[in-house]
Amino acid sequence: MSLQKRTLVIVFITFLIVFEMAAYIATTPRPREQFYQLYVLGANHMAADYYPNDDPNIRMGDAVRWYVGVTNFMGSVQLVEIRVKLGNQTIQPPDDQHAFPSQAPLVTEFHRFIQDNETWEFPFIWQILNTTSSGGIVRILGLQISNQTIQLLNSSAQNGYNFRLIIELWTWNVDSSSFEFGWFAGTEHRIAWLQVWFNATAVH
Amino acid sequence: MWSWQKRLNERHMAPIRRLLIVLATTILFFLAFRASIVTSQTATNQLQPGFNEALSTLQRAEAAGATSSELAPLVDLLNKALDLSNQANRLSAEDSQTRSQLQTQISDQLKSVETQAAQLENMASQRTFTNRVITYVSSGVGAVIATLAYAYGTSFWRKYRVKRTFQMKISTK
Repeated sequence: MSLQKRTLVIVFITFLIVFEMAAYIATTPRPREQFYQLYVLGANHMAADYYPNDDPNIRMGDAVRWYVGVTNFMGSVQLVEIRVKLGNQTIQPPDDQHAFPSQAPLVTEFHRFIQDNETWEFPFIWQILNTTSSGGIVRILGLQISNQTIQLLNSSAQNGYNFRLIIELWTWNVDSSSFEFGWFAGTEHRIAWLQVWFNATAVH
Repeated sequence: MWSWQKRLNERHMAPIRRLLIVLATTILFFLAFRASIVTSQTATNQLQPGFNEALSTLQRAEAAGATSSELAPLVDLLNKALDLSNQANRLSAEDSQTRSQLQTQISDQLKSVETQAAQLENMASQRTFTNRVITYVSSGVGAVIATLAYAYGTSFWRKYRVKRTFQMKISTK
């Protein structure tokens, strides 16, 4: 083989390696971070105006309008669930360190299948329907959330101060066929939750 | 003597036994109370098994290369089935007929999603395979073209250099 032919073979092999590597990079999906985004916006679709007239003392019958949204960045279709819980100052919120959900009583839940990079947002309109007060303890007995009436049992606060609606993100685990709090990104268990405080001091 | 000792022991043991019973009852009461607080959450941790199957088939189709526009109608169908499931859960015990009708509808929709997702998975995996083969073959062809271009380029350059060499003139300064 002449020197020229040998050079050509070497050049061809070099080009082949470079081009095939480029093809491999182009056809192999890049690994990316897997996560969800959870948010609550106020009545005007902004991170403000969470209470009617900017007053956190919610009266009975006052309609409070929020927008709750979830964006899926997991890289595949997912089934997500939003659990809304009613807590007070003493009930523990979700535990970020151990990824435990809050033990506050569940008020309602919303489910949805969402595609990768898709945002699911829905209006969350709620109002206090019924309360009782005795010995300085204000108890919320009923809430209306998006035209659904919910009766509550264990939701009370001292003088009606510092109630909080805790919004937790749960996701469907295909392997265990059940909802789990948060999600797994590789081996790491991550959670997402939010809370909005309010008072039920001026109930009438 | 033995019976006297036994009676004495029983007399001593009686308050302890009573104390133990009270303690056990208290613990049981607190456990039951705690359990009632925890179970007051009536979260639906489970869904019909069809949902799990449909979701995993859909995820497989997506992993095989199905696009979001191809998946969108199936995701819509799944969400409709989910709405029907919520409706069925809200029905009272007397509405068993409506519930069974809804369950049938849900099952039909889930089966439809599963079938379509399986077809989509096949189609997407074939398409991905074809695209991959085309890409690798194209890069091979690209390497051949680049080598030919190199060969022509170098030969052209050599000829040009030779031509330039013969065009040289020797001039005296």
